[in-house]
Amino acid sequence: MAKKLMKGCEAIGEAAIQCGCRLFFGYPITPQNEIPEYMSARMPQVGGVFVQAESEVAASNMLYGAAGAGRRCFTSSSSPGISLMQEGISYLAGAELPVVIVNIMRAGPGLGGILPSQSDYLQATKGGGHGDYRVLVLAPSTVQEAADLTMEAFDLADKYRNPVMILGDGLIGQMMEPVEFKRRIEPEDLPEKPWATTGAVGRGPNIVNSLYLRAEDLEQHNLALGAKYRAMEAEVRHETYRTDDDPDVLIVAYGTVARIARTSIDNLREKGLKVGLFRPVTLFPYPAAALAAAAARAKHVLVAELSMGQMVEDVRAVVAGRVPVDFFGRCGGMVMTAEELAEQAEKLLAVPA
Amino acid sequence: MPTPLIDVDRCKGCELCVFACPERVLEMSPNINAKGYFFPDVARVEDCTGCRYCLLVCPDTAVQVENKGKTTVRTDGLTETPTTYCPGCTHGVIHRLVGEVIAEMGVRQQTVGVAPVGCSVLAYDFFNCDMQQASHGRAMAVATGIKRGRPDLVVFTYQGDGDLASIGMAETVHAANRGEKITVIFVNNAIYGMTGGQMAPTTLPGQIATTCPTGRDVALAGYPIRVVEMLATLRTPAYLARVSVHEPKAIMNAKKAIRKAFKFQIDKTCFSLIEVVSTCPTGWGQQPHEACEWLEEHMLPYFPLGDVKAPEAAH
Ligand SMILES: Cc1ncc(C[n+]2csc(CCOP(=O)(O)OP(=O)(O)O)c2C)c(N)n1
Ligand code: SF4
Ligand code: SF4
Repeated sequence: MAKKLMKGCEAIGEAAIQCGCRLFFGYPITPQNEIPEYMSARMPQVGGVFVQAESEVAASNMLYGAAGAGRRCFTSSSSPGISLMQEGISYLAGAELPVVIVNIMRAGPGLGGILPSQSDYLQATKGGGHGDYRVLVLAPSTVQEAADLTMEAFDLADKYRNPVMILGDGLIGQMMEPVEFKRRIEPEDLPEKPWATTGAVGRGPNIVNSLYLRAEDLEQHNLALGAKYRAMEAEVRHETYRTDDDPDVLIVAYGTVARIARTSIDNLREKGLKVGLFRPVTLFPYPAAALAAAAARAKHVLVAELSMGQMVEDVRAVVAGRVPVDFFGRCGGMVMTAEELAEQAEKLLAVPA
Repeated sequence: MPTPLIDVDRCKGCELCVFACPERVLEMSPNINAKGYFFPDVARVEDCTGCRYCLLVCPDTAVQVENKGKTTVRTDGLTETPTTYCPGCTHGVIHRLVGEVIAEMGVRQQTVGVAPVGCSVLAYDFFNCDMQQASHGRAMAVATGIKRGRPDLVVFTYQGDGDLASIGMAETVHAANRGEKITVIFVNNAIYGMTGGQMAPTTLPGQIATTCPTGRDVALAGYPIRVVEMLATLRTPAYLARVSVHEPKAIMNAKKAIRKAFKFQIDKTCFSLIEVVSTCPTGWGQQPHEACEWLEEHMLPYFPLGDVKAPEAAH
């Protein structure tokens, strides 16, 4: 397929269709309205279903029904809407249903603002709703990667029978870049889901459920979920930039901020400063081992986020005091410039380690 | 000679069959079954006319009737699992009606039910078809997802008044308004059974509940919501009816309405919702047969029975 110039939001929507998803349930919220709008036009063209739900609560529970009936399905929203979806996400995780949820983050708390942010990192990676659970979290930093990761998200959801979240921000969603859809799967070519509620023909009833009234049973269920989350560590993924010479400052950033960091690094390198980037692509599971190894070869770690400091908690846990970890963030919808970030890195180098 | 047959071990000793029998054929035994319940004895079999009223009112499918060499059989729309409902709770009767309808219509193997949060949270153990368990109030959103994903399936929800008319009211109104081709069984027992008898959106004015200990004060809590009448104001075509399960004839009518509701779904006609006025002997603090009388005397005047909207009446 030839490359096409597309907005990030549209690329996500098209990627879902290309990998056999025919159901979208969502509720409008800025800055991701392009996704439901795109789906409302595209789904009927491919015999799919678009439902504008009455709320994000309803949307997340519609996903539960459709995924429970064995269908690929997805939703998209932005921060306040994702908060409302947490009920559904907890039940989806409990009942082990594969769905894809896109969060194009905006600044909070509360109604906050509509501008880009990364302030839902903790909500996304630590569970988000009630109960002990995790969702796989993938953080694209280009439009092409948004499309690729969306396709992979559906496969990972099916593989682990678990919700998968695409965590992006308004910049990724609105940005236009050339994108190529690398494969196309028809819904009828997807593998059967023998556990799904498709009618009890030739078998006893299938039950989709997250209720375990006996503590012994629920503990076993939690243990099995925990084992599954550990198994997901096979999926960890990261990318590095200009780290071959063991840079003195290792910037850790994901999504849009990682793009900004590349520019900062190029500028600092021109000045002869050794700065590199570590970009987690999977935020849960976190690429802890790779980060620990990369950080151990640096003099400073600088975590940059569009938040008051959320991922930095994970980085600090991974680095475990072996190297100083500094944080630089902008928030409220303010986006750091490459110069600002470079300045922060340069400052660290001025201080004798 | 017609004969009621009691499955002693399924019996929960509610006495509803004893009160329902017009000929007083049944009498409670002085003995108890394995679960510790007294059960009915067939005391005057010679008086039995084969009316099946005992079978109709039994919430635990513990009664069959033999007549002219034929014996009624328990529907395979339900699993063998005994329900977890309190003795005499009419949830059991409603389960039987729904189970019978999906079995008799031949759609059991293409049906997916959605269990709510409430006393019927374990409904997935009792209906003999594929089931999904939904979060509190979201059964119709879940059913929407199932039906949109698999339009070939027959999808029903089974929900209490707290689930459907309080926490799930938005999902209710919008599923009805979108005209989702699903069937909703709405059990209105005027109380929150599962959590211990708190006030429901359908608790009657002055009715005592654990969160309105002096009776529902309509100045503070508003009036009980008449769900089917409210939904009937929507322009989208729907089949909406209110039935009751407090006595044999009402139960027979309830089954007819439930069958009609499934038929409208199967024919892809419209959204269908049957409000079933039901008892909660435990939450109301009454004997099962008293609860049936209380229902007739107090609930039916406020919640009148009958078809409230038929699809052809769309305006
Ligand atoms: C989000 C949420 N809030 C509250 C509850 C607690 N809860 C469980 S059942 C119930 C009320 C159910 O009442 P109703 O729907 O009338 O059904 P019944 O038990 O009377 O059959 C409540 C409030 C819950 N499980 N989840
Ligand atoms: S109605 Fe059923 S459960 Fe109740 S006493 Fe009679 S046989 Fe037993
Ligand atoms: S509490 Fe009420 S509604 Fe619940 S099972 Fe008991 S009698 Fe039935």
